[in-house]
Amino acid sequence: MKKRVGVFVCDCGTNIASVVDTEKVAAAAGKLPGVVFATTYKYMCSDPGQELVRNAIQEQKLEQVVIASCSPRMHENTFRKAVTAGGINGYMFEMVNIREQDSWVHHDREQATKKAADLVRMAVNKVLHNKPLQITTIPITKKALVIGGGIAGMQAALDIAEAGHQVILVEREASIGGKMTQLDKTFPTMDCAA
Amino acid sequence: MVAAAQHPNIELVTYAEVTAVNGYIGNFTVTIKKKAKYVDWDLCTGCGTCIDKCPSKKNKDEFDLGMGLRPAIHKLFPQAVPGKPYIDAASCTKLTTGKCGVCEKICPTKAIKFDEQDEYVKAEVGAIVMATGYDLFKWEDAYGEYGYGKYPDVISGLEFERLSSAGGPTGGQIKRPSDGKEPKSVAFIKCVGSRDDTKGKSYCSRACCMYTAKHAYQVKTKIEDSEAYVFYMDVRTAGKNYEEFYQRALNAGATYIRGRVSKIYPNGDRLVLKSEDTLLGRPIEVEVDLVVLATAMLPSAGSGELAKIIGFSTDKDGFYQEAHPKLQPVETFSAGVYLAGACQGPKDIPDTVAQASAAAVKVCGLLSKTELATEPMTSEVDSNKCSGCGFCVPICPYGAISLQEIQQRGNHGRPPFIRKVAEVNSSLCQGCGACVPACRTAALNLKGFSDDQLAAEVDALCL
Repeated sequence: MKKRVGVFVCDCGTNIASVVDTEKVAAAAGKLPGVVFATTYKYMCSDPGQELVRNAIQEQKLEQVVIASCSPRMHENTFRKAVTAGGINGYMFEMVNIREQDSWVHHDREQATKKAADLVRMAVNKVLHNKPLQITTIPITKKALVIGGGIAGMQAALDIAEAGHQVILVEREASIGGKMTQLDKTFPTMDCAA
Repeated sequence: MVAAAQHPNIELVTYAEVTAVNGYIGNFTVTIKKKAKYVDWDLCTGCGTCIDKCPSKKNKDEFDLGMGLRPAIHKLFPQAVPGKPYIDAASCTKLTTGKCGVCEKICPTKAIKFDEQDEYVKAEVGAIVMATGYDLFKWEDAYGEYGYGKYPDVISGLEFERLSSAGGPTGGQIKRPSDGKEPKSVAFIKCVGSRDDTKGKSYCSRACCMYTAKHAYQVKTKIEDSEAYVFYMDVRTAGKNYEEFYQRALNAGATYIRGRVSKIYPNGDRLVLKSEDTLLGRPIEVEVDLVVLATAMLPSAGSGELAKIIGFSTDKDGFYQEAHPKLQPVETFSAGVYLAGACQGPKDIPDTVAQASAAAVKVCGLLSKTELATEPMTSEVDSNKCSGCGFCVPICPYGAISLQEIQQRGNHGRPPFIRKVAEVNSSLCQGCGACVPACRTAALNLKGFSDDQLAAEVDALCL
């Protein structure tokens, strides 16, 4: 595998850029061994941001991608799809969290910028050891279980059943209806609860 | 209720509990315990003769919160769905002493089965919706100033609902529990257990402001020349038509007093509430016939154990934890398990219905696929390095690792032999990585987080 890493540092509007000097982080990343391209953008998750990633993969013939932005919980899938769309395996990608774990929890701009640069350097070194991974598929049993037969359970069961799927509705008591059946009238319409 | 019971795609399993869940998204195996009802519902026509003739009639009706009586064989309430009776074993003379059996003799379809046992059935499902609801805060254990439950005319909002309901123990006439008299003045206290760090919970239970407004409105409109006092900290009416409804209660004549009630004490057959009117800045005393407490919503009893059985997390208050408060409000951290209603946090009916439909859409999205892509970042075993010690097997929280026998070629001309090595079921593996540090021979690696990848990260920082 060739070492051709692209680094993309996100401003997240001012969420990251107000505390971390993203230009400096990108400049430092550009000098790392294996890195052939490094840039910043205001919103990397936006359509132009993702296009930037896709285009760079093709124009720079990138083999690995590092994106420094928010928590992977937020956008790892977004970027994995963008990287795949760019033409490389989605697991030749590392995400660096410089928002929740940096800009949101620090005030000192210089130190926060240094931390971001450190985190990016770690991810670049890691991504050089990444191997392409393949997604497999599993079958799906087309039946749902709903636990609890109150308003929530009944509504969910009915909606799923209406869509044409089988549902098992399990209720602890001898009747469905839950707390609702104990209520008199209900606000704001004063309908009966039964 | 009836719509759910009659839908051809819904299999209703009542008086039952889920006791075990194995498997993973798209492929769960659940064990359901059907508790003994002592009535064969396939034979029972729901005629109700047994309910009329049962001699053990003086049992506290749980449905009416102990304010009414029921026979041992009974329906949960007259409009129960399914409309079939069951026997509460604890209050049945036949099941506790062996004598009686009246229902068995008179049942026209021979549906009574005293020898019925709990039954365990297994089912295969692709998705699970949690809708376990809520319970109410036990104010009797915490609020000494309101009498620890020793004054019969200090009741909860749910008890008031039963008293006001046409199907309740008083047939819908609001009567106070102590002497059955119609209360002419009723005080309502909001936030009992809610927004109270010292005695209860820090959160707002969301529905109480509105149902208390409804209760006050009902007192004013159902009882002639009545007074309704509502003691509140704030009035929160954030919902469509909610503020208008609150105004309706005010226009009906409800008196809202901003202040916490510090003490309730009896005066003859009435109750005195000591409080402060914080808008006027002076102490206030109100004497009433009945006090209704808007108690906090709690996760329903047993919901925490269920979360452990299925394998997802709860929040600091025991409510089911959503995967993301804004972006994944009906998902859990366990793929294929979704949340609906008050099990996720206190909710009123409109919010509950909306969230249940949201969870249903998530389920439908999943069930409409023929197959599901899995995350490839799972553990893998290098069988050459694995010593077969089996340490990783009990550590895996998902039961994904098992020991398998493989045939090993003998070295130096020795015959081939059988040895055990760990094997990871990649469908069950959630990629948590708990097994990796447990492996003494470094045979286990989490794909995407392998030892050399992590070492490279550390090197970049330290070297």
